[in-house]
Amino acid sequence: MPDSCTPQEPAIPIPAFLSQLAVSGVAVLVIVALAAAARLARPNPPLDEAAARARLADDFPEAQIDRVWLAADGAAALARSGSRALYLFRLGDAWVARDLAWSDVASAPVRGGRLHLRLSDVSPRLARPVLAGWSPEAA
Amino acid sequence: MLEAPFDPVKLAIPFFILAMLLEIGLGRLRLAKAEYEARDTLASLAMGLLRGIPALLTAGLIFAATVWVWEHRIFTVPFDAWWGWVAIFFLDDLIYYVFHRLSHERRFWWASHVNHHSSQHYNLSTALRQTWTGGLAGTWLLWLPLAFMGFSPAQIAIQQGISLVYQFWIHTEAVGRMPAWFEAVFNTPSHHRVHHARNPRYLDRNYAGILIIWDKMFGTFQAELDEEKPRYGLIRNLGSFNILTVAFHEWIAIGRDLASARSLREVVGYLFGRPGWSPDGSRDTSESLRARWAARQAAARTPAE
Repeated sequence: MPDSCTPQEPAIPIPAFLSQLAVSGVAVLVIVALAAAARLARPNPPLDEAAARARLADDFPEAQIDRVWLAADGAAALARSGSRALYLFRLGDAWVARDLAWSDVASAPVRGGRLHLRLSDVSPRLARPVLAGWSPEAA
Repeated sequence: MLEAPFDPVKLAIPFFILAMLLEIGLGRLRLAKAEYEARDTLASLAMGLLRGIPALLTAGLIFAATVWVWEHRIFTVPFDAWWGWVAIFFLDDLIYYVFHRLSHERRFWWASHVNHHSSQHYNLSTALRQTWTGGLAGTWLLWLPLAFMGFSPAQIAIQQGISLVYQFWIHTEAVGRMPAWFEAVFNTPSHHRVHHARNPRYLDRNYAGILIIWDKMFGTFQAELDEEKPRYGLIRNLGSFNILTVAFHEWIAIGRDLASARSLREVVGYLFGRPGWSPDGSRDTSESLRARWAARQAAARTPAE
């Protein structure tokens, strides 16, 4: 449903526009509050290795996964697939996956127990998971 | 007639709100499938709510251009002629198909449209995850031939509004399939779930606005299959609910690519190639993903020797 930009006369007075915006804003907040209260989010338990592999297979169906490290809170996972690293993290009740060069992951700094990964996408640019048993040498 | 006597979208806003409340209620009572995540819903509704602000920047230009073309029209279609409304219904829907296909298959216009597909959910709030940069992307030019043919700016605006309102209700998992005759002719929740899916089989399919016949005519139709549930969102899903990221991430990505371009060919490819185009072919496009998926399917069917 992309809005194709209708040729409407743009002469709406600014105060009326702002009033409409304010009323609509209240309606939005009410709907969001009701959606939250209704608890309609997908069940999203912490990742275990099987779940991480299954979710990564959705995004990278051809990848042979050599090893998986899980975040301590189950909200992220890092996997090695040959010369590639596959990174999975929770966003709300869904998951987001990224891939990057394994060499970048192997040389990424660990500060305060957190691995600092630079991702190439506009969002997010950085990931900082705490990975259980992390050691790039062991991969 | 220049100014539309009514705006179908504004008239439909109470219906939009009530329909979302109904979908949430039915989901809560487990009478229908409805999955809502609060921050995702807030992002979708905020995109719809605030789209009027950037639209103000181009509304004058779009209106003036449409009026100017209409003043140079070759025929005059009376506003109150029934045949005129029948004609504009089909013509607008065909133009919408072209516009929508262009918005998926060429990156410059995908950058404007991608935000609508950026939710991993499919519910009525997703329908309102509207573009902020559609006016700047210039796809409104596609509708100018209607004004040149003699349809008034008011008639064009009303028909576009009707199309937009129609497409609201199809953004839901609460409706399974409509009667077969309806599915055969009209765009439906089932057809549009396919359109929003990121499964390779479903990529770049079902561009229809109101009538699904255009997809069937031009070879882009794909029925929803019971054995393959749609997974919604983008090939590379966004990692944020920030609406500025939702609205502008692909434009920023284009800017980065253009900054790294080393030839005119690369500039043109990054701007007007398929989304995912890259000089060395190292990135995925819908076509490459579909081809690899088809190869995997074929390999799975071939018995091991």
